[in-house]
Amino acid sequence: MDEVELDKAKATPGLSRRQFLTRTAMGGAGLAGVGLLATPANVIKAATGGGGNFPTHPNWKFTFVNHVTTNPFFVPTTYALQDACSVLKVSYQWTGSTSSNVTNMVDSINTAVSAGVDGIATSIVDPTAFDAPIANALKAGIPVVSYNADAPTPLVNQRMAYIGQDLYASGQAMGDQILKVVKEGLVAIGIATPGQLNIQPRFDGAQAQIKASGLPITVELVNTSASVPNELSIVEAYYLGHTTMKGFYAVDAGSGEGIAETSRKYNFPSKGIHTGGFDLLPVTLTAIKDGFFGFTIDQQPYLQGFYPLVQLFLYKLSGGLMFPCDTSTGLKFVTKSNVGLYLKGKSRFEGSTSKELLIK
Amino acid sequence: MTAAVDALPPAAIGAPVLEVFGVSRSFGPVQALSDINLKLNAGEVLGLIGDNGAGKSTLLKILSGFQSPDAGTIKVNGEEVQMRSVSSARALRIECVYQDLALIPQLTVWENMFLGREQARRWPPFILNGRAMRNEARRSLEAMQVKIPSVGTEVGFLSGGQRQAVAIARAVYSDAKILLLDEPLAAMGVKESSQVLGLLHRLRSARQVSVLIVAHNYMQLVGICDRINLLRHGEIVMDVPVTETSVEKLTQFMVDEYQEATVAATGSPGPAPQPK
Amino acid sequence: MSSEPVTTTRLQRGTGWARLRKLVGSVVGRREAGILVVAVALTIYFQIITGRFISGSNFITVTQLTAATAIIACGEVLLLICGEIDLSVGNTFALVPFILLFCTQADMPLPLAMIVSLAVGGVIGFINGCVTVFLKVPSFVATLGMLFLLNGLTLTITNGYPSAAPTVGQASVVLGSAPASEILWAVGILILMQLLLTRTRFGPHVIAVGGNMMGARESGVSVPFVKIASFVMAGVLAGFAGILDSFRVGSIDPLQGGTEIMFMAVAGAVIGGTALTGGSGTVVGAFLGVVVLSLLNDGFTFIGISAFAFDIILGGAILVVMVVNVYLGRLRIRRLSQ
Repeated sequence: MDEVELDKAKATPGLSRRQFLTRTAMGGAGLAGVGLLATPANVIKAATGGGGNFPTHPNWKFTFVNHVTTNPFFVPTTYALQDACSVLKVSYQWTGSTSSNVTNMVDSINTAVSAGVDGIATSIVDPTAFDAPIANALKAGIPVVSYNADAPTPLVNQRMAYIGQDLYASGQAMGDQILKVVKEGLVAIGIATPGQLNIQPRFDGAQAQIKASGLPITVELVNTSASVPNELSIVEAYYLGHTTMKGFYAVDAGSGEGIAETSRKYNFPSKGIHTGGFDLLPVTLTAIKDGFFGFTIDQQPYLQGFYPLVQLFLYKLSGGLMFPCDTSTGLKFVTKSNVGLYLKGKSRFEGSTSKELLIK
Repeated sequence: MTAAVDALPPAAIGAPVLEVFGVSRSFGPVQALSDINLKLNAGEVLGLIGDNGAGKSTLLKILSGFQSPDAGTIKVNGEEVQMRSVSSARALRIECVYQDLALIPQLTVWENMFLGREQARRWPPFILNGRAMRNEARRSLEAMQVKIPSVGTEVGFLSGGQRQAVAIARAVYSDAKILLLDEPLAAMGVKESSQVLGLLHRLRSARQVSVLIVAHNYMQLVGICDRINLLRHGEIVMDVPVTETSVEKLTQFMVDEYQEATVAATGSPGPAPQPK
Repeated sequence: MSSEPVTTTRLQRGTGWARLRKLVGSVVGRREAGILVVAVALTIYFQIITGRFISGSNFITVTQLTAATAIIACGEVLLLICGEIDLSVGNTFALVPFILLFCTQADMPLPLAMIVSLAVGGVIGFINGCVTVFLKVPSFVATLGMLFLLNGLTLTITNGYPSAAPTVGQASVVLGSAPASEILWAVGILILMQLLLTRTRFGPHVIAVGGNMMGARESGVSVPFVKIASFVMAGVLAGFAGILDSFRVGSIDPLQGGTEIMFMAVAGAVIGGTALTGGSGTVVGAFLGVVVLSLLNDGFTFIGISAFAFDIILGGAILVVMVVNVYLGRLRIRRLSQ
């Protein structure tokens, strides 16, 4: 700062005080504006209508904690939450981690407990990290269920119920399907985040089934990492390194999509390489229709949002009489024979459109 | 440093404190200094005039221990020395104030004055004795009559003249006996230069420090130096007491040199150059 | 402009005003006061909106959000002040707890295992420092390379699998599993670093290297020592934060931390007043900056913002906070030069 600037500053001392107050007020107003934008109207907990036959009740807030909040797989889940909330006149919050970061999810649960929400649903992707936060929530009188992924057995975690697919059983079912078409050779199974409880049990189930068969099949785990663009490159690179493989399967949506695209690019059916996976990404479904992907398994993510929310709502409404219960959201094989139903049009239940449509 | 400043007669200048014999330094193909011979006497202020590219910075860096010469010897107080680092030069009481002043704008005046030689307490160990340093800084600045609002001001907020004064004061405070100043008045207005010149006058009158000033503006040097050397293309081409020369004589010397160079380059003398 | 003196005189008349101005002036004087004001304002704001932001359990939640990142920020701030940066701290954060796990699995006594794991963090920092100082690779690039290297290393030695935290019995309480332990460590480290920077010669040296490296060198400050020491400290602190957080959550994930926590640490330091160009910054400011980020994170989750909109809101809020902070900083400069 040279002397000229110094002299100028000296000449107007009072200005700095006033400026401080003005600018801080402006900053405060700016923050308030951001906050107003940020406050959804349905957060305000006034008593509202009951919804259908139900009596008047407060606008309860249910926090859904997820491990990949921005992953397209869960888009139908968020639609389900919106639909359920509009019917029951309650509200939800969708939060957690974008990248399977367990610490972020634990922090979200703790914050929800401090905020005194009325119910928590979370995917449990780590064997032990969720035990303490969920116990704290229950101690604070907040009902907690898990969805999409559950704690391991024997059950130490105190969540009230699990709503989702039986992951190990679904892996076994996939294993059975693999054994139908592959009798020997290398079978690779792609998994986005090894060790995480939402997909690892599927791999374990498939591997166990294949091993139990006694056939000369080698099962190899391919770590495709949790981000969809990466998954494609890793899948492709793996294939190019193992062109004599007999089967390439996936236990999560992103890996499945990567394998489907790679299968189309290199024409796996002509090379005798069998494929299959989980979940219903559009690329995967189209590949099934065109014959490049063998099957996919639907776990009905819409139901994984709808059922937990309804169960938590009923728990609150009945004062605890209606207790959450384990619910399977299905294990449906989608193959070329029935994929038409899924591709017929866009549907909110599959996440391909947000429009509310009656599907005949 | 004494608070009272006495004006001592020129005869108080003593034996050589710094002698340079045959120092050379090159950087690759460029010969920055060749066969430099130079003598600085005790209590004397020596002005070394040189244009940019003449080798001033290199000579200063060698004399302050920042670099080593390729050849030649340096004697301090009659004894030959090898200065391998800035700290070894400092140990010989040689301090250099560079053009960039080596001041840290974000540190305060007292922090700058003690940078590299901070005073720590006995106990707890490693903890700085801030109060002692602040007092010392204040005392030495007052003794040198340098006007700073507060030793706790960040140096970045000081004016150019104040900064230069702080840099010189820092060197003097550290009990330097030989002070090397690199372009102390460069890029400074009249008002600021007078502040620094005043400080240099006081230093000269006290005759406690020997000063070597390197600059290319000789008009101001003539007013403050005891002797003038001229550095041209890596060589000392003139060495006169200031009483035997003047601004006009120096200008004439420059003009002659300039004309010689022009003739050598173009074959004919150009238009008479204006004195600087 | 000509009406300014009149307004000032009117304000000066009441003694109440004068006292308020003096109080405000002394608060705005210190560097970190600006960000402290922002933190307090945010807390009040969220309390008004939600009605239950200020509560015992939420206080614990905010401290848990803050602690690990704040510890990393303390180390990162040193580097930012001397004009460098370490992008690999998030990956040191992920790797070091696994080193501790392997050591305890090999039946090493816990104190030794801790020393070995923290030493690994220090070695990583040392390598970063040497590459930056001696090989003259810009620290941004050098630590970027280290980031990828560590990421691959962590995934390789763990096969990509997360693990439960090391079993160390009661010691885990001190090392992060008790609710208050992580933040107590963070505050302790903060106090130590603040002492280091304000009461020892290391502080002025770091600022000197960042403010005028040539000048620092000319003054006899050992630039290599300052930079490498800062890198080592950043590595050790990042590793320690990783260990504490692993015990808090109860599991270690090779994907944890990474660039997300690194950017939060850097952002916290910058919001707290550290100049990205080097030469100025404080650990207290960095700590408060991370607190502000945690308040924003926690507060918006409290309000109920859902994931998609979350980042928009958080980004907007960070910008607003920075703008306010910059103005308060300018005021401080103006006031100091009067």
